[in-house]
Amino acid sequence: MRQLRRLAFFAAALGALASLPAAADTIKLGAVLPLTGPAAVVGTQEQRGIQYAVDEVNAKGGIAGHKIEVIFEDNQAKPDQSVLLFNKLVDLQKIPAIFTGYSGPSLAMAPLATRKKTLLVNGGAQADALDKASPYLINTIPVLAGELEVLATYLFADAGKKTAAILFENNAAGIAGRDDFLGSFEKAGGKIVAQEPVPFGDTNYRPALLKLAAAAPEVLFVVITSGTPQLADQIRQIDAKFMVAGNTFFSDPELIANPNAEGFIHTQVLINAPEGMAAAFKAKYGTEFDFFPKQYYNAATVVMSCIEKLLKDGKPITGENLRAALFEIKTFKGLTTTVFNTNTAATQINMNRITAKADTTIKVIPPK
Amino acid sequence: MDFLTTYIALAEIYVLLGLSTNLLVGIVGIFSVSQAAVFGVGAYLTAFLLMHSSTPFPLAILLSAALCILLNIIVTLPSLRVSGDYFVVTSFGIQLLATAVFTNWTGGTGGANGLPGVPAPILFGHEFIEPTEFMLLSTIGMALGCLCFWLIMRAPFGALLRAIREDELAVAALGKSVLRAKVSAAALAGAFAGSAGGLYATFLSFIDPSSFDLDASILLLTMVVVGGARTLAGSVIGPFVLLALPQILALIDIPTTIAAAARQLIYGLLLIVFMLFRPQGLLGEKL
Amino acid sequence: MLWLNLLLNGIVWGCALGMVAVSFSLIFATTRFFHVAHAAVYGLGGYITWSALKHGLPEWAALVVGVAVCAAVGAAIQKLLYERLDRSGATHLVILIASLGLSAVMQNGVAAIYTSNILQFGLPWGNRTTTIGGALLTNTQLLTVVFGLASYAGAMWFAHRTVLGKRMRAVASNPFLAEITRLQPRQVHVAVMAIGSAMVCIPGVLVPLDLGLQPFGGVPILLTATIAVIAGGVGSITGAFLLAVVIAVLQNLSLLIMPGEWSIGITFGIFVIFMLFRPRGLFSS
Repeated sequence: MRQLRRLAFFAAALGALASLPAAADTIKLGAVLPLTGPAAVVGTQEQRGIQYAVDEVNAKGGIAGHKIEVIFEDNQAKPDQSVLLFNKLVDLQKIPAIFTGYSGPSLAMAPLATRKKTLLVNGGAQADALDKASPYLINTIPVLAGELEVLATYLFADAGKKTAAILFENNAAGIAGRDDFLGSFEKAGGKIVAQEPVPFGDTNYRPALLKLAAAAPEVLFVVITSGTPQLADQIRQIDAKFMVAGNTFFSDPELIANPNAEGFIHTQVLINAPEGMAAAFKAKYGTEFDFFPKQYYNAATVVMSCIEKLLKDGKPITGENLRAALFEIKTFKGLTTTVFNTNTAATQINMNRITAKADTTIKVIPPK
Repeated sequence: MDFLTTYIALAEIYVLLGLSTNLLVGIVGIFSVSQAAVFGVGAYLTAFLLMHSSTPFPLAILLSAALCILLNIIVTLPSLRVSGDYFVVTSFGIQLLATAVFTNWTGGTGGANGLPGVPAPILFGHEFIEPTEFMLLSTIGMALGCLCFWLIMRAPFGALLRAIREDELAVAALGKSVLRAKVSAAALAGAFAGSAGGLYATFLSFIDPSSFDLDASILLLTMVVVGGARTLAGSVIGPFVLLALPQILALIDIPTTIAAAARQLIYGLLLIVFMLFRPQGLLGEKL
Repeated sequence: MLWLNLLLNGIVWGCALGMVAVSFSLIFATTRFFHVAHAAVYGLGGYITWSALKHGLPEWAALVVGVAVCAAVGAAIQKLLYERLDRSGATHLVILIASLGLSAVMQNGVAAIYTSNILQFGLPWGNRTTTIGGALLTNTQLLTVVFGLASYAGAMWFAHRTVLGKRMRAVASNPFLAEITRLQPRQVHVAVMAIGSAMVCIPGVLVPLDLGLQPFGGVPILLTATIAVIAGGVGSITGAFLLAVVIAVLQNLSLLIMPGEWSIGITFGIFVIFMLFRPRGLFSS
């Protein structure tokens, strides 16, 4: 009996969540991101990007007088927590749109997004499986395949590299990166001579680097989400003869400022902060306005533009309407021009080279 | 109501796992930290069978339970040879080995990408896709598990298992087979973990190694200790409390950027305070 | 010369791992608690030292501050948490859960203050390289080897040549006897926790100096170190240090014959089989 009473108590406590009063004119959005634990290194950056965008809009009085509030939930990158939190936001708070990151949690929530007609907005994970996971899963960043095709073609045709080795993070993002690059580079006519994974969060790349260097590739392709400055140091240490190429994860201010990253080339999903914005961000949070905050800032801008349109048209703000508005607007001019022909955005991709502690564009590939 | 039913369904699955852990750790005294690995094998097998063959759902669960019975016997067997602290660390090696297999055996488990699109359970031609419907299945699963556990604890076999924890040598000296008792307990714990795995995979429709890692094993131990080791009521209440705790902590208003870390910090503090003032758990026996 | 490079790399990493293993071995052999918060103390040492450096302290002074803080925290953990639990007759499982709670408090505290981003020490001398036997090693790596060997030697000297060390070993081998012969095991426990925590601060600084600071960075290292401690034989400092080096070297050399994703799995597989044949570790008494 005592057990039942305790159960009843917890049920009541959970139920109490439902009855929290909401300010009438505030529009609530949700975010399910890894905010604690090892994956928080990326998740908290994503959170700051969203919060910054929302604060900026609210400081200007909100959207047509409506303040925006984002409810952040911490899933620690676990799928079961993500599903639970998705239901919490949609059920109790009637949230029309939820920001997500990381491929696993996004894939776990995708079927629910379809059933509940709730917009799931991913601004950071690039695994190819996200492209068609749900009509309601919107990716404001292109999946890796397109980006790496650009890189592989450039390396083979423009830079004349015939052999490559791959260093990838052993998670969904890294594996997708490896597979996409491998496919594109071999299709272009090149040859992959070696590949090695590193565990997520582990910044000791030396054993893998030593083995890859021993295969004497002309270029090393790297796809890791964080710890790139450490990677540059360790590549310099082994006195590597190969060129180093990466994807958009290389556009990390700390990497670019690292003298050991001299000569690294990378693709970049174009995203530029206006003058002063990066400094204001740093002043507010004490951290760089990095790749992930920028992407989520942009994702938040996209969602808020859709809300603005719905308010103007006098339609209710639901997941279904937000999705319709997104495809009606189609082209968003936030930090970058983001075009939605499908669920996954097309944006301009640049080829950059890191020289003298600066990122210089060497080639521009417009959105398809 | 989906939030509540999702919470209940997940908690009920964890109750099955809690029973599995409690049986080994609490009752027999085999300090296993690899129950999440066994749970994972059950989840992956069910997912694999449903995705790649026309195995009906109940059979898939039974096969998963069967495989996990075998596997759990194998992973607890070292406890006959390796004792105490040495077994804990051996079991912990097993857990890390399992995580490595889940993460890298791409052909079987989907690797770090995980397996999306596990079909929902179909029983008597009905698809249990909504949490409210699924809760029926998980409730039945939990009830069966609890019944088994309760019956065993009342039977002489339960007394034998408890006696092994207190004094293994004395039990052997009385002419009872310690080996047979340990193997039976391990088998039952395996069946619980395997069927929990099958329910978990079909409920979430997506599984990846992060649900079956060392953290998950430790979470199971925490659920058992907080609920109360050695008792049925403890194994039931533990998962319900620990899954609700983050949701209750989320009600505390903290500035956004540090909120999540601060809540985890409070969670840690609660664990410490709880262990200091109620080491036997909410509904456990006095230790 | 891939194998030589991997071997050297393994030895360096083994020395870092060895320091964690030796420090954990001192604590575990004496108290028998699964002090998983040791990983959090390791992390704390790095962050405190980083802060001290950012406040303008010279490197050596910053390290001393880190070591002192860790020692104090270690002693406090024993005095305020483990000792109370132990007095109330808590099982090792209960102590383990409390220790997990403590880890959550410390690691999330660090994450809340310093953010979850990877922080760098940014000391240019750390990355300068020297050629040794055909391989390039950084100053940080060389320092790791020097401190690793020194920590091992220091721990051996402490355990065998000092009064406190002898008391520690007596308490470890028979707590009951130690109690009645007035060796005051509780005092010894506090002292050992302080010493072990001070020692773990050194790899806690050297590894992040090389690889960057992360709030949860200590966990994987402690996991591997624990395995070294047990496989080496509880109470054997030599066993813990040696096995740490062996594990690190094996993980590196295994890359010669297999892809890297399997090296960790294989290492733990070997460990499990090893335990079946030597259930009390390599250097068991």
